[in-house]
Amino acid sequence: MKFDVIIIGGGLAGCTAGVALQEAGLRCAIVAEGLSLHECPREKFIELGGTIFPGDRVTGGHIVGRKVKWVETRNLDGTLLEADNFILATGKFFSRGLISNMNEIYEPVFGCDVKYDKNPAKWVSQSFNDSQPFEKFGVITDAVGQVSIQGNTVENLYAAGEILCGERDIVSSALDVAAQIVGR
Amino acid sequence: MWPRRLSGGDAMQEKNISKDNFEQCLKCNLCATVCPMMAANPHYPGPKQAGPDGERYRLKDPKFFDLTLKYCLNCKRCEVACPSGVKVGDIIQKARLAYARQHNPLRDFTLASTDLVGSIAVPFSTIVNPVMASPAVKTLMDSVLSVDKHRSFPKYARNCFTTWMKREAASQQEKFTRFVTYFHGCYVNYNFPSLGQDLVTVMNACNYGVHIPDKERCCGVAMISNGFSAKARRNAMTNLKAFRKTDETILTTSSTCTFTMRDEYENVLGIDTSDVRDRILLATKWLYDKIERGEISLAFKSGYHKKITYHTACHMNKMGWAIYSTELLRMIPGVELTVPGQKCCGIAGTFGFKKENYTYSQKIGQELFDTLKALEPEVVACDCETCKWQIEMSTGLTVMNPISILAEAIDVEATRKLNSR
Repeated sequence: MKFDVIIIGGGLAGCTAGVALQEAGLRCAIVAEGLSLHECPREKFIELGGTIFPGDRVTGGHIVGRKVKWVETRNLDGTLLEADNFILATGKFFSRGLISNMNEIYEPVFGCDVKYDKNPAKWVSQSFNDSQPFEKFGVITDAVGQVSIQGNTVENLYAAGEILCGERDIVSSALDVAAQIVGR
Repeated sequence: MWPRRLSGGDAMQEKNISKDNFEQCLKCNLCATVCPMMAANPHYPGPKQAGPDGERYRLKDPKFFDLTLKYCLNCKRCEVACPSGVKVGDIIQKARLAYARQHNPLRDFTLASTDLVGSIAVPFSTIVNPVMASPAVKTLMDSVLSVDKHRSFPKYARNCFTTWMKREAASQQEKFTRFVTYFHGCYVNYNFPSLGQDLVTVMNACNYGVHIPDKERCCGVAMISNGFSAKARRNAMTNLKAFRKTDETILTTSSTCTFTMRDEYENVLGIDTSDVRDRILLATKWLYDKIERGEISLAFKSGYHKKITYHTACHMNKMGWAIYSTELLRMIPGVELTVPGQKCCGIAGTFGFKKENYTYSQKIGQELFDTLKALEPEVVACDCETCKWQIEMSTGLTVMNPISILAEAIDVEATRKLNSR
């Protein structure tokens, strides 16, 4: 099944990017595990003719050279989702866009490069009231929003929203990525 | 393929020992925000309380079982919404099967026994249909059986689908070299054989012959929801045995039958279906995948035009397969398709037929009815038969299965030529 853009994650970032891309005339699909608290952008996305795969999860895919060719999902059972561009907007720890164990933090869908302190003792600040270091961990992107896997940039895979490292605004990062894709 | 790591809910499962992921519930209440019953009925405690929260107590002592769990529609919207992979709906279904006592056994048995009632009613359909439709009988059923008088039972057919198949179509099928097995389900067999005939038309045009299982029982969904787990299990075993006798793909035209056989047999009834599950498919998914792989081509009639709105049944939403039906409909030139956001129609199979549930049922469906009426489609397309009854009764719109729309829109001769290579 072919789309122009496949967005993984149906939260505020995923739906905002989806709305902007649908409005620009691109055909988008959002693979959305769990439920977004932001109903407005999701409803707008559906209204604009966007496709949502509700409660579904990307389970694998295929990267050729520096491009993602397709992904497959748990529910679609063998049907491959192809697209020109992909956006990763799966959020941080609570929505499990990032997974942490005792030693490391990783991005589970593509294995994108993640910026975090290699010393787990420094992940949290002792005082509950401090801003927590782990809040700033996240996926590394280049100037145009593309992610890298083991140091190699993936040309058609972007990240947006909470999953990004540092302090990026959810909505503006999503709109930036959408503008980047529309401009290509 | 990239190397896989644990993701989503699974990443928390490394040390998980609970059934149905119930320990993974973070109490976030997202399930409560999508539960159609909770919004309509203040007596229902909602999926979180009825499911994982209540389960903690029920494990200690079954007397904590809450009778209001009967209000669960088993729509599984809670499971679709859950970010932690908790099988909220399954937990509730299993609790009901384990602890609930029948509230109205005669009525519930009648509603659940689709095969028994269907096989008695079909030979006498010319009498049964007008009798069941008469206001006097409806009032009587309302007061004696507590089957709501507003409901109309689906009409019984003059002949079962299986009879038609044996008499009219079976010999034709042997001309083909490739086959699918069609699990028709009770509705097609006793009430609406034309849908089964449409499937045979489409399959034959695609150069596939259609077999029917040599012994088929109701998938058992109504038995599960009415608490007859032993009967449901017997039906499941009969169906699975028939499926194991063939290596053909098992196609269905009902989203709920598909969902029940693929997921509820294993998750709710605890039956191992791993050897056949992947072969049980909704006809629209099978067709779409075949078309995409270039194994089947469809030719359409010229001048076909229809304004269609697709309603995503809750079990379709749970399976995540609505896309196959909508993409097939989009392939038809002249089809103007709208797909509004997913809403529950409120009937939930036999649930809405019960007198005590009628008001809730209609209240839940109201938003959908309003949306559909405002879109003014010529037909509503839907893969679920009980949604069809509910939408037709509550909106006056006509509801068709996507397979019937396809059968109407394809040029049978041209399609046959395309696929006979």
